[in-house]
This record gives sequence, structure tokens and C-alpha cells, in this order.
Amino acid sequence: MSWDVLLHYAPALIRGFGVTIACWASGCALGLVLGFAVALGAEAPSRALRAVLRVYVEVLRGTPFLMQLFILYAGGPSLGLRLSATTAGVLGLGLYSSAYFSEIFRGAFAAVPRGLIEAAMSVGMAPFDILARVRAPIAFVAASPPIVNTLIVMSKETVVLSIITVPELMYEMQTMAAETFTAFDAIFAMAVFYWCLVEVVSRIGRRVEKRAAAFLVSHA
Amino acid sequence: MLVSAHSLGYLAQAAGVTVALSLAGIAFGFVIGTLVCVARVSGGPALARLGGAYVSVFRGVPLLVLLLFIYYFLPIVGLDVPALVAAIGGLSLSSGAYQAEILRGALNGVPRGQTEAATALGYSNLDLWRRILLPQALRISIPPMINEFILLIKASSLVSVVGIAEITRVSMNIASMTYRPLEAYVAGGLFYLAINLTLAGLGGLAERRALAGAR
Amino acid sequence: MTKPMIEVRAVGKSFGAHQVLRGVDLDVAKSEVVCLIGPSGSGKSTLLRCVNFLESYDEGEVRIEGELIGYELDKEGGRRPMPAARLRAMRREIGMVFQHFNLWPHMTALANVAEPLIRVRGLTRAEANDKAADMLGRVGLADKAFAHPQRLSGGQQQRVAIARALAMQPRVMLFDEPTSALDPELVGEVLEVMRALAAEGMTMLIVTHEMGFAAHVANRIAFIDQGRIVEDGPPKHVFHHSREPRVRQFLQTYHDRNAF
Repeated sequence: MSWDVLLHYAPALIRGFGVTIACWASGCALGLVLGFAVALGAEAPSRALRAVLRVYVEVLRGTPFLMQLFILYAGGPSLGLRLSATTAGVLGLGLYSSAYFSEIFRGAFAAVPRGLIEAAMSVGMAPFDILARVRAPIAFVAASPPIVNTLIVMSKETVVLSIITVPELMYEMQTMAAETFTAFDAIFAMAVFYWCLVEVVSRIGRRVEKRAAAFLVSHA
Repeated sequence: MLVSAHSLGYLAQAAGVTVALSLAGIAFGFVIGTLVCVARVSGGPALARLGGAYVSVFRGVPLLVLLLFIYYFLPIVGLDVPALVAAIGGLSLSSGAYQAEILRGALNGVPRGQTEAATALGYSNLDLWRRILLPQALRISIPPMINEFILLIKASSLVSVVGIAEITRVSMNIASMTYRPLEAYVAGGLFYLAINLTLAGLGGLAERRALAGAR
Repeated sequence: MTKPMIEVRAVGKSFGAHQVLRGVDLDVAKSEVVCLIGPSGSGKSTLLRCVNFLESYDEGEVRIEGELIGYELDKEGGRRPMPAARLRAMRREIGMVFQHFNLWPHMTALANVAEPLIRVRGLTRAEANDKAADMLGRVGLADKAFAHPQRLSGGQQQRVAIARALAMQPRVMLFDEPTSALDPELVGEVLEVMRALAAEGMTMLIVTHEMGFAAHVANRIAFIDQGRIVEDGPPKHVFHHSREPRVRQFLQTYHDRNAF
């Protein structure tokens, strides 16, 4: 490991790290919001809407993230959609993760015990209140372990953004590697970085899972 | 949509490469996964720890990083790895970690009472595994294995970075040759979608069969 | 003559090919306590759930103080589903207690009681909390206000559920096997609350297997079998003088099971 090289590139790497975290956070935030909306849409009475959302989810889950990024970033201009690499990256991550999040929410909504909803209906609560006060909070708890899991998966997907030249950590590392011929150091550092990130988030995830389980089991 | 028949031919060929790469990844990954799973479940504490470390590392490190590590690092220590070997190696190492977890989950999915019942009936350890645990665990693991295959098909798009002519790489080539990136990538995406929907369909079929068989 | 609080007329209901209710008639007058008993699968819970339209019925009419619930009639005599807002307004006046309590697990006991007051009755949080605390006091759980349901025993959970329904000041209370999910030693505390409620003059329709409670508290017992009410009268009559063989047989197995 050549520490002086790492030190020299430290500012760029720290910037890259910031970009990685920012892309991850904003992409997943977008994905959670979109995914929640898609899960609600899947309950709509309109058959056509439900079919469209089904296709949305299947297409996004059935194709590689890299391909979706290429379509957005390289293909977008043909449709008059000119996005910067970073915007395309965040938007792409948001769309891609929304498909997974929507499935998680859909399952979590379906798992809310019917009786809890009936109790709300029996006191005359309106559908929106039942959603906001009963269904959503309970579904969120049930969904939290798979959500953490998906967040981990998405944190690894952010590496792919380097391919469309988003200046995130992997991209900066590769730049460093190309300029200094220290590919090994760079890639090794990346591996260690992601391993740590995933370990930390997984640990948090397991804790969340235990809490969620304690919360849900006791009720039944 | 303006993708020439010529381009479609290339893409179809590339789809074959994608499927072949993923199959190789699943197969080698299964060998790795089985070994790791056995090490974790019935190895000694040292082996179990090693197996745990394997899963943690290869699930934690992004595949792209792993691929570049193999492709760029191994030559430095004097091992010139052909792109194809790097690609299959990366996919297998990564998939092995996931498959080890799938198998472990499936073994845990066999109710504890079954082992107790077999032991009470005087089954030997070998017979217990051969006749009771493995058949059920493999059946349980079919749906998640199909799912893993689909994930691997998608993950294999990353081996385009080491220059293998699979769907993603060929789409990139077509995009740069025709200056029609949207059409090229959408066409490539449709190939992935077709493969994965087929697999998901097969998976659903297998799952129903497995359920029927379990009854 | 005043209208009955609950009026069930010729109600029929099928799940697919299975007919659960066949022309059921039942009246519950103001301040009356009626217990529905019968073998499992006889349709008694379904009937109860038709009263607040958690379950829709296919034929006949269910009226609450004269007002049809679930449907509205058009001029040609046909009927269509009643507007959702109107149904909600009617449900506000009908309290329901479920077999499995159905307390919302993410809220404290107090919040479970206060929530509908805020969302449905439009009270402020402070007002709702005051009222909820009062109600919890009435069911003997003033000290458990800030406990989450999972920290409460089944009996305590059911008492919170009763407080939640009562806080809405309903005109009728429906109980769907309120003690069936409880350990035997916890049944008494719930029945005690229900007894007090009956003594205050609450109109109650109760599906139950607690024959002792039914005998002492109910004004009338209705026995359902295979979707029909086959006996309806004062407890003394139903329990001791019924000529209906199905009633006698049901009570006989009940006695046998409890004889030790």
C-alpha cells in the first residue's frame, strides 16, 4: 500500500465518498417514495393502472441496473432528456430501487392483520385515516428488515454509477489508479470500504429486525 | 424502433453468452456454496468461522469491484487472467456466497422434529442427510435458486467492463456504431427481460411442483 | 311504539355456494341485552358482522334505529351500496368488540382509545386524551394508559378494546366472542365490565359461549343453527324449557364438556 499516493488523492477520494453516499441516500429516498406510491397504486380499482404498474415493476426488476442507466444517460437525449451523469445516476437508482421497495410495501400492506383494519372501520374511520394511522405504520415496521436489506443491495449498486462517469468513490479510485498505476491499492481499498459499509448496515439491519419481530409477534 | 436485423443477430448471440456465463456462475457457485454451507453447518468452529467470513466478504464487496480486482490485480502478481476466466470467476465467487446462504436457509427450513423423528427411529447420520434432510432442503431451495439465477443474469451485465461480448457490451458496441443509443440499449434490455421472464415462469412452475410434491 | 335499536329482517348471506344466513329475523330493543349462541359455523358471528356491515348481506334488511345500513333504496325498489361517508357515520354509533381485541400494536392503550376520538369525533388531542383516560379508568386500567398492547394481558387488552368502543359513545355495542381468545382465568374481568355496562342500560348484542354470563345478564337468548334462528326467548325458557331438539343437544354437549 502506498500511503503517500492515497494521501495525495485523499481530497478527491473524500469527495468521491461524499458523492457515493449522497447518490445512495437520494436515490433510495426517491425509490422509497416512488415504491410506496406504486404499492398504493396496486390497490387502485382501475385494472389498467394496476397492469401498468405491474409492467413497471417487472421491467425494472427484470433488467440490469447498468442497462437502465445506459438507457437514461445515453438514450435519454434521443427523447430530449439530457441528464448529467449524476442526475441520471440518482434518477436511475431511484427508479430501480422503487421496483424493489414497492414489492416490499405491497407485501407488508397485505400482511397487516385484517382485524386491525376492521377495528378502524368499526369506529367509522375514513380510508385515508386508516391508511395513515393504522395500515402504514404497521406496514412500515413489517417492511423495515427487507427495506434495510434492499438499502444494502443498493449501496453496492452505486458502484455501477462509475461506469457512466458519476464522480463517486469508485470513479475517483479508478482515476487514481489510472494516473498512478496503483490499481491494486485502489481496488483493495474499495473492497474494504464496501465490506465495512455493508457490515455496518447489516448489523443495524439485524437490530431493526429484532425490534420489528418483537413488536409484531406480541400482537397476534 | 430501428435496430437492424444484423444488430439483432449480434444481440441474440450475446444473449447466448449472457446465459452461458450465468450458468457457469451458478454451477461453480453451487460447488462453492455447498462447500461453504457444509463448513458453516457441520464443520468445526474454525471452518465455520472461515465459511462465515467468506459469505461476509463476498456478499459485502460489490461485484464490479471484485471483477476489477481479479482482472487488474492478479496480473500484477504475475497471473495473467483471461477476461473470460475473470468474468466467470467473479460471478462464481460472488454467487457462491449467496448460494451458501440459500442452502443454509433451506436446511434450517426443514423442521427440527424431522431430525428428531429420524434419530428416534435409529437412522444413521448418513441416512438422515441422504434420505431426510437433503431431499427436503433441495426442494425448499429451488425457488430461491431460480431467483439467484435471475439476479446473476442481471449481474453478468457488469462483466462488460472486462470486454466480454455479452448483451450489455454488444449493446454498447451497437450504440456507438449506429449512434442510436436509445434503441440499442432498449433492445438489449428487452433481451434481458425475455430471459428473466422465462426464468421466472419456469421458477413459478417449479415452485408449484415442489409444493405439490411436498404435500 | 318506538323502533327497535337493531332490526334484522329476513337477512340472507352466502359465501359462494355456502349459505351462511337464511332468512334471519331478530330485534334488539333499547337497553336490551341479547346473546347469540349456537354451534361453531352456525353463522352467529356473520350475523353480528352484518349489523355494522363489516360483512355485507345479500338479502333482507338490517336497520339501526329504523335506518337501513349498508344500502340505500332507489325509487324502483332496487338497492345500491350506501355512500361510504354515510356508512361511516352509522358505524360511529355502533361500537364493536372483537374476539382478538384488534388493538393497534403501535399505539399505547391511551392512544388506542384516543385515536378514533381525534380522527372521527374531531376532538383535539388533549380533549381526546382526557376522555380516553376517563374511559380506561372505567374499565379499571387507569394505570396502564401508557402501556403498549403487547405489554398487557389478554383480559386487559380486551378491556382497552371495550374502552375504545365505548369512548365513541355508541348507541349499541356488538361483542364478537369477546372472551373466546382469553385464558380461562382472565375471562371474569372482561365479563365484569360487560355486566356493568348492561346494568347502565347499554343496548348489547353479544355472540358468546359463556352460558353462565348469558343466563344471568341477557334479557333474551337467540339460538342459531345452520343460518337460522331456531329459538329466541328469555334465558330461562331457552336454557330450561326449550322443546327444540337442536338447542337441547347443544346445551347437553356444553354441560358434558364442563362437567368434571
